[in-house]
Amino acid sequence: MSAIPALSVSGLRAGYGRGDDIVRGITLDQAPETILAVIGPNGSGKSSFVKTLAGLLDIRQGRVSVTGTDVTSETPARRVAAGMAYVPQEANVFPSLTIGENLKLATEFLRGRAGVGPEQREKVLALFPELGARLKTRAGDLSGGQRQMLAFASALLANPEVLLLDEPSAGLSPKIVGQTMEAIVRVRAAGVTVLLVEQNVAAALEIADEAVVLVAGQVSLRDTAPAVRAADLGDMFFAKVA
Amino acid sequence: MAAQLFFNGLVTGLLLALPALALTLVFGVLKFANFAVGAMLTLGAYAAWVANVQLGMPLTASAAVAAVTVAGAGLLADQLAFEKLRLRGSISLLVASMGVSLVIENVCRFFFGNASRGFDVALSRPIRWEGLRINQEQITIAITVAVCLVAVDVLLRFTPLGRAMRAVADNASLAAVRGVERRAIARLTWALVGALLGLAGVLAGLDRSIDPLIGWNYQIAIFAAAILGGLGSPIGAVLGALTIGVAEEMSALVIPTNYRQVVSFAVILALLLFRANGLLGAKAARK
Repeated sequence: MSAIPALSVSGLRAGYGRGDDIVRGITLDQAPETILAVIGPNGSGKSSFVKTLAGLLDIRQGRVSVTGTDVTSETPARRVAAGMAYVPQEANVFPSLTIGENLKLATEFLRGRAGVGPEQREKVLALFPELGARLKTRAGDLSGGQRQMLAFASALLANPEVLLLDEPSAGLSPKIVGQTMEAIVRVRAAGVTVLLVEQNVAAALEIADEAVVLVAGQVSLRDTAPAVRAADLGDMFFAKVA
Repeated sequence: MAAQLFFNGLVTGLLLALPALALTLVFGVLKFANFAVGAMLTLGAYAAWVANVQLGMPLTASAAVAAVTVAGAGLLADQLAFEKLRLRGSISLLVASMGVSLVIENVCRFFFGNASRGFDVALSRPIRWEGLRINQEQITIAITVAVCLVAVDVLLRFTPLGRAMRAVADNASLAAVRGVERRAIARLTWALVGALLGLAGVLAGLDRSIDPLIGWNYQIAIFAAAILGGLGSPIGAVLGALTIGVAEEMSALVIPTNYRQVVSFAVILALLLFRANGLLGAKAARK
């Protein structure tokens, strides 16, 4: 493992409004160029955790760093400039903008981010060749799988160190889920660290290097993906939330 | 008679187009109905009047003063009120905009009183064309609005800032994680909306006398136009404004002109009953 983790989370606590903490003291480091699957039962705080990392949910306590740079108090936009990109579970493209406009917008406001430009655009479009041929199509007219690819491409144009994915398989057919997982593997091969929040445990563990199981907003188990696959997750998934 | 009313209606519609566009931009990007739209138009009319009559500036330069003044007022209102309430939801922002409207209207009343005022512009003969009587003010309104609409369209469709505004209108959270600072886009929106309302105030001051209620007189028609077009849809706002303008003027054929605002109320009522999303609302709602 490299000395500096791509993503470092320490004692993270977060919640909505004045409500109780949903993310309750998560600490983890992720090595560069790996896929870390975050799995857990419904309501375990997976999506809240990744939203907190992206800056869309206020951090109440703890620290988040990307390749050693502390981004805890940065806005979501500045976290992108620091190397953290996020693809939400739903509504992850701008439907009234064309594919070309979605892609342009992904880099237009990233001042000072290294590696953002025509070369990165070519690399990304090579990963998702079907997008380059349909630049004038409105994103709102795309299928679920195509939207997912556009969302990945938009996030990758920012040349991120860390890509946060929130349930990329949600609502997709099994065939498209397979293509999506292949795309994630290609993204890792391109040198990006991927934190993959996923409800489809089998698909996530198939491609992940490591996995953490979240229960009630806390890390209940962390191990290599094969070890987690071999573990009996039933008790964790069906245990009463504390 | 009918042709003249139709033509006058188109010009009235163009006059409504800028404030309706301003209303729909705020609704689309900042997600609330800005009740201060009429008051900001009033402020624009007075700012131009001060520049034109009291400082002796030509009307074109006075229009620029009005645009800058109202843009500044919009930014100030955002800083003092709207930004602090952004997370409280659209109803809180709507109520805050009512407060901003009252403040602006009463500031105008405090400094300028209730007397009617007018710009210092040379009187000119109307042009006769194909039986229509076209006056200079109508030509000025038509050209100014056409230029503004083209400029806003170019801004929204072909510039990074316009794309960012449309992206925030689509999904503000997603825009934030694509590197767009929502605060900066909110400020840009207020500056643009303020400039449009400042210019609309000047055009309104050419159409009728300037008093503290000049903007309020257009308020219902502006809301009717924006709702008719589908709140959040810029093209819809312009189409809605033209429709309301023509409908109000043509109503003079069947009802006394004093009651022409009834047309706007009737349009709002009909839309609420039968097509709440407006003409282009389905498209806007899908965003």
